[in-house]
Amino acid sequence: MPIRILSPEVVSKIAAGEVIERPASVVKELIENSIDAGASEIKVEVRQGGRRLIRVIDDGRGIPAEEVELAFERYSTSKLKDAEDLYRIATLGFRGEALPSIAAVSKVTMVTRTKEQEIGVLLRLEGGKVIKRQKKGALRGTVVSVEDLFFNTPARLKFLRKESTEARHISDLVTRYALAYPSMRFSLLSEGRTLFRSTGSGSLYDVLIEVYGLETARQMLEIAPLQEPVPSQRDPKGQGSRPKGIPREGMREEAEGLKISGYVGAPSLHRASGRYLTILINGRWVRDQLLGYAIKEAYHTLLPKGRYPVAVVRVALSPQEVDINVHPAKAEVRFRRSGEVFAAVQKAVRHTLKGAPIPVVAPPRWTPEPRLPTSLRPSPGQMALEVQRTEEIAPSKNIPPLRVLGQLGLTYIIAEGPEGMYLIDQHAAHERVLYERLLGERAKMAVSSQSLLEPLSLDLSPEEAAIVEENLDTLRSWGFDLEPFGGQTYLLRAVPAILKEGDLSQAMREVIDEASRQAGRWEEEFVISLACHGAVRAGQTMSEGEMRELVRQLEKTNSPRTCPHGRPTMIHLSAEQLQKEFGRS
Amino acid sequence: MKLSCLQENLSRGLAIVGRAVSLRSVLPVLHNILLATDQSQLKLSATDLSTCITCWLGAKIKEEGATTVPARLLVDFVNSLPPEQIDLELVTRTQTLHLKCARTEANIKVIDAQEFPLIPTGIEDRKITLQPDALRQMIEQVTLAAATDESRPILTGALADFQEEKLTLAAADGFRLSVRSAPLSEPVPEPMKVIIPARALQEVGRVAAEEGEPVEMTIPSARNQVLFHLAGGALGGPIEVVSQLIEGNFPDYKQIIPTSYNTRTVVDSKEFLRAAKIALLFARDAANIVRLQMTPGEGEPGSLTLAATAAEVGDNVGQIDATIEGQAMEIAFNGRYLIDILNAIDSAQVALETSTPSSPGVFRPVGDEDFVHVIMPMHISR
Repeated sequence: MPIRILSPEVVSKIAAGEVIERPASVVKELIENSIDAGASEIKVEVRQGGRRLIRVIDDGRGIPAEEVELAFERYSTSKLKDAEDLYRIATLGFRGEALPSIAAVSKVTMVTRTKEQEIGVLLRLEGGKVIKRQKKGALRGTVVSVEDLFFNTPARLKFLRKESTEARHISDLVTRYALAYPSMRFSLLSEGRTLFRSTGSGSLYDVLIEVYGLETARQMLEIAPLQEPVPSQRDPKGQGSRPKGIPREGMREEAEGLKISGYVGAPSLHRASGRYLTILINGRWVRDQLLGYAIKEAYHTLLPKGRYPVAVVRVALSPQEVDINVHPAKAEVRFRRSGEVFAAVQKAVRHTLKGAPIPVVAPPRWTPEPRLPTSLRPSPGQMALEVQRTEEIAPSKNIPPLRVLGQLGLTYIIAEGPEGMYLIDQHAAHERVLYERLLGERAKMAVSSQSLLEPLSLDLSPEEAAIVEENLDTLRSWGFDLEPFGGQTYLLRAVPAILKEGDLSQAMREVIDEASRQAGRWEEEFVISLACHGAVRAGQTMSEGEMRELVRQLEKTNSPRTCPHGRPTMIHLSAEQLQKEFGRS
Repeated sequence: MKLSCLQENLSRGLAIVGRAVSLRSVLPVLHNILLATDQSQLKLSATDLSTCITCWLGAKIKEEGATTVPARLLVDFVNSLPPEQIDLELVTRTQTLHLKCARTEANIKVIDAQEFPLIPTGIEDRKITLQPDALRQMIEQVTLAAATDESRPILTGALADFQEEKLTLAAADGFRLSVRSAPLSEPVPEPMKVIIPARALQEVGRVAAEEGEPVEMTIPSARNQVLFHLAGGALGGPIEVVSQLIEGNFPDYKQIIPTSYNTRTVVDSKEFLRAAKIALLFARDAANIVRLQMTPGEGEPGSLTLAATAAEVGDNVGQIDATIEGQAMEIAFNGRYLIDILNAIDSAQVALETSTPSSPGVFRPVGDEDFVHVIMPMHISR
């Protein structure tokens, strides 16, 4: 094939592919335009996860009638004049790629009117070509409706996930922007149902309540200003005397215009996935590895292993200090002085956490374990003796008959077998037993569940609600009887019979979270997590009868040597080893 | 402090208060029992800061005083002594308690009584008198349904609802509910609801059963506490149990109890219990699920069948005679719960009222209108 210059159509589709990846990208570009247009209210409407329709309505400045077509030309923008401006970008958009990219792969209708004009204009494009233009009465602001996204790029269409997954991405995005702009009223409608709404009160705390629920918001701490040595710089009212729990928009000032504000969860508040971390740089939501790491570092040793904090951290700094033009979707940024920003964020978070209230003594919580490769040995030095894993000594599938001798440190069962001593991790062993029991029951379509005396009402976050909605049938088949109760509220009527003790709603959330975080098949991860929650925990006293029963049940499992996470359930100390250690041989 | 008392009395008194000793507390003084002279009696107290038990016993006081002694050592030591007079003397200089009984002597290191929490006693307020046997049974039947884990603290307590001439006690753990009412000897001036920790109630029930004296209950209006006062016979002095109340709103238990049923099954309580125990042997490997099948008889008595299956173990089926009113049906319950409730029923027969396999089962002892127990069914998800 000879080399030739690509037609403008192909070029525009290729370019669009970089900016518009999925329905959520359209929503992102349109919301950013609305924010840049000074809107105070932004409504997002989607149908079929954004595939059928995405409509963003704002009450911003609008576009003058004579400029409307220009807005859909590639590299046209009102936000930037020359290259110099690139180094001090204060608006969210600037490249002039969003609207043309969207128009290239969908059918777009824009209705807009500025304050100065009496009548608005309607413009309709299909695949980037204007097919209709007419005068139209309209409210001030802009309405962009994007229909049949990717109708002309079937390859992209194929790669879209399930509707509910796409809807979840959109909902995630809208809530992040609501967190970034508390003074704007955001609302999200999906299939005509309101999924999310923020009040626009200007208080970040109010948005936190909307996004994460009151219970979680209560456990969030406002990023506190550092104790300045010069008292005159402090808030005249006095920070120290402010009653706990009353939110206040706080700001922390650094030398070069760097301000860090927001809310971080108390160390007692943690989640199974990192999705609850929101970093906002000059009002832009970014997935910055560096700052994410800085925040996690600030929680170092404060959170259980494998758990992530809940935080909204806003970083404000002079536009010259940060380069946003790194990533086509602007999801990544570069800092001119990244070390300073890193240190400032970490310090601010750490300092806030120091003032965290002492957590209330709660019953022993379940903590997830990191997944370990099966070949991992217990590290030497854990015990004075070199302990060998059973697997290496007896490669047979079954474990020998064991006699329970006692419990060690409320965590391990000490047992005697024909070949010496065995230490069994009670949690891992029970996890294995429950996991296989669950799979067995499921295979026979006979998972037993226990009804609740009174249904528990669960207020889920939009994301959790989306996961539940997507997997409602799976959840039911495993014994969670959930019933939608309007919005993000669900009624929990029955739980799997293995989940008896503890906070059931908390357990359900963690199981869902856990499963969504792992890369594997959702259902598989869900069952592992469910078994983990139902299992006896480390630190729980077990009677001799219970221990015997557990060992008996473990003996009957198919792979008694590891828990479903891949950790060993037992270690073995052979009679020969014991003899050697005592110098008997 | 210097006094003498009888070994039997001291041993008994220590057994009563010893249950409140908190063995897991980090405060060493809470592992101790307080011994103090109180007018002409010896006062013993122990507490875990939530529940506190105090008793008084007859003693010959020679010198006033107070101290605290490690509970386990004191209890074991006193229990091993012959039934004779014990002389106790606190040696302040060395902080030891000297005990002498017959030809045995001992010195036990003490912790100063000043360090022991202040125990509220003799609170004077309106009193409600309860009969000990009725109270014991009430407590036993109700607290079995209280939650044992602390994730919802309110469910670890029992609601005591006083209305005119009736006291109703209710407890629920999210899966089952027990409600029992008892008449009061005189009406309460105004309705009152408090939530009492189940553990404290169980202690009261235990003491009440042993003593056989009427129990006076006081809820001081100003404080968040409840006090049970037993006159106490054998010891020669009263016994008091004081507990913190649990604050919050107890679930509305009345709306949980179904008002109608489709099937009413009346069976012998003992036979039902035995069948449930056998079924649980198999059910324990399958989430304790025990299936009940009610078959009405035509002209002859009907039957109740209990069945359990565990894939890896085996299965069992047991049948008992039953008088069944209404239609045949099947329902499944946690076998553990069945055994708990059947153990707590005294009447010869028990009635089980059911409507659908997914609606609650209601247990009522036949001939006892005052007790209701509700268990949520289990079911098999498909």
